[in-house]
Amino acid sequence: MNWEFIYRVGIIEAIKGVPVSLYVTFVSLLIALPLGFLCAITRFRRVPVLSELISVAVSFLRGTPLVVQIFIVYAGFPSILNYMVQTFNWNFDAFSINPYVYAFFVFSLNVTATLTEVFRSALSAVGKDQAEAARSVGLNAFQANCHIIIPQALVSAIPNICNEFLNLFKSTSLVYMMTIQDITGKLRIAASAGYNYTEAYIVIFIVYFLLGFGMEKLFQRIENNMKRYKALPQT
Amino acid sequence: MISVKNIQKSFGHNHVLKGIDFSLNKGDVVVILGPSGSGKTTILRCINFLERAEQGELTIGDIHVNLKHATSKEIHRIRKRSAFVFQNYALFNNKTALQNVMLSLTVARKVPVPEAAGIAKAALNKVGLSDKYDAYPSQLSGGQQQRVGIARAIAISPDVILFDEPTSALDPELIGEVLGVMKQLAHEGVTMIVVTHEMSFARDVATNVIFMDGGVIVEQGTPQAIFDNPKEDRTKQFLKRILLEEQ
Repeated sequence: MNWEFIYRVGIIEAIKGVPVSLYVTFVSLLIALPLGFLCAITRFRRVPVLSELISVAVSFLRGTPLVVQIFIVYAGFPSILNYMVQTFNWNFDAFSINPYVYAFFVFSLNVTATLTEVFRSALSAVGKDQAEAARSVGLNAFQANCHIIIPQALVSAIPNICNEFLNLFKSTSLVYMMTIQDITGKLRIAASAGYNYTEAYIVIFIVYFLLGFGMEKLFQRIENNMKRYKALPQT
Repeated sequence: MISVKNIQKSFGHNHVLKGIDFSLNKGDVVVILGPSGSGKTTILRCINFLERAEQGELTIGDIHVNLKHATSKEIHRIRKRSAFVFQNYALFNNKTALQNVMLSLTVARKVPVPEAAGIAKAALNKVGLSDKYDAYPSQLSGGQQQRVGIARAIAISPDVILFDEPTSALDPELIGEVLGVMKQLAHEGVTMIVVTHEMSFARDVATNVIFMDGGVIVEQGTPQAIFDNPKEDRTKQFLKRILLEEQ
């Protein structure tokens, strides 16, 4: 075991990669949260055509491995684009697209797919009586959603959102496949110089564990704070 | 001043209401009795548009609507003048008692918050919950939750309050506190339509009792007429069974 590699190179490279991993995670999540919510409402309301389209897309995204999706998007798409550029004589370099664009695209779509189902089940978990009571006291559909249905749905969705966030954070370790140097990417490069792969992966393991553990604790606090109305002691 | 005419409603092939007519005056307490499945609850739900009737007319004060064709604006006007108390309370779980009562004032009626808070507190005081303003429904007993439900109904000073089996989900020892509040409201002249199995409430508080079975009104009259001198065999049968059970 090359200890020197671990604390001289490994840890420093890992820390350099942390902002990149977090950047991809947060941007993808920020795109996916509203998008997933809209898709969930479309599915929940059973909007014709759109609802079915979303359902098919979700099945595709959830049913295929992330690695394959990354290959198709990152390797396949530019080739198709390049073919079109040559055929139609566009003045555009198909291989010049920033890899982050591909990363945001793949990860946000993936998370959107999961969050669609998360939000949909959260919306159906709010009792029917809540909507009826809201209508009966004179709230219109929009007001009922804003004041009663959505706040309650969000609370029951929070544990799953946290789960999905952690999954996303871990999956972003695949962005090195798109030449982005996140935690994993930085360490793989550092390791290749002296073939210190075992040491590199141990560092990656520890860094992800510490960050993941911290996030989990943070989310627990948020969750407990948001669901405070649920299980309070009797006054 | 409140009347319904010829309410018809089916669920699939099940013809639940086969033409219901009745009317009541300001301050009346109408109690609807009948075996399960006779359509009692469906009447109230149709009046509050929680179910769409297939036919029927509703008049509350000067508002006259067709139960089948009412526009959302008309429905909104009816709901502003009537309130519904649910069997399972149906309080907003993410709101405190006070917020539950205030919401229909501040959001649906645009009453300014300080004024709405005043009205809501008065309503909660009236049902004996002056110490529970900030309690969430999960912190309240069934009886307390139902009293918040009643406060939510009286806060909008409706022309009529519809009670859908308000005590059916309660433990026997909690029924009294809810019935007590309802009796008090009746004495204050609040107009109510009550679906219940509480015979003593019907006998003591109702101004008018309706007995229904199989989607039609079998008999209606004063409590004395219905309880002491029922004309229809079906009513006699029902009362005999219920009163026997109560003894």
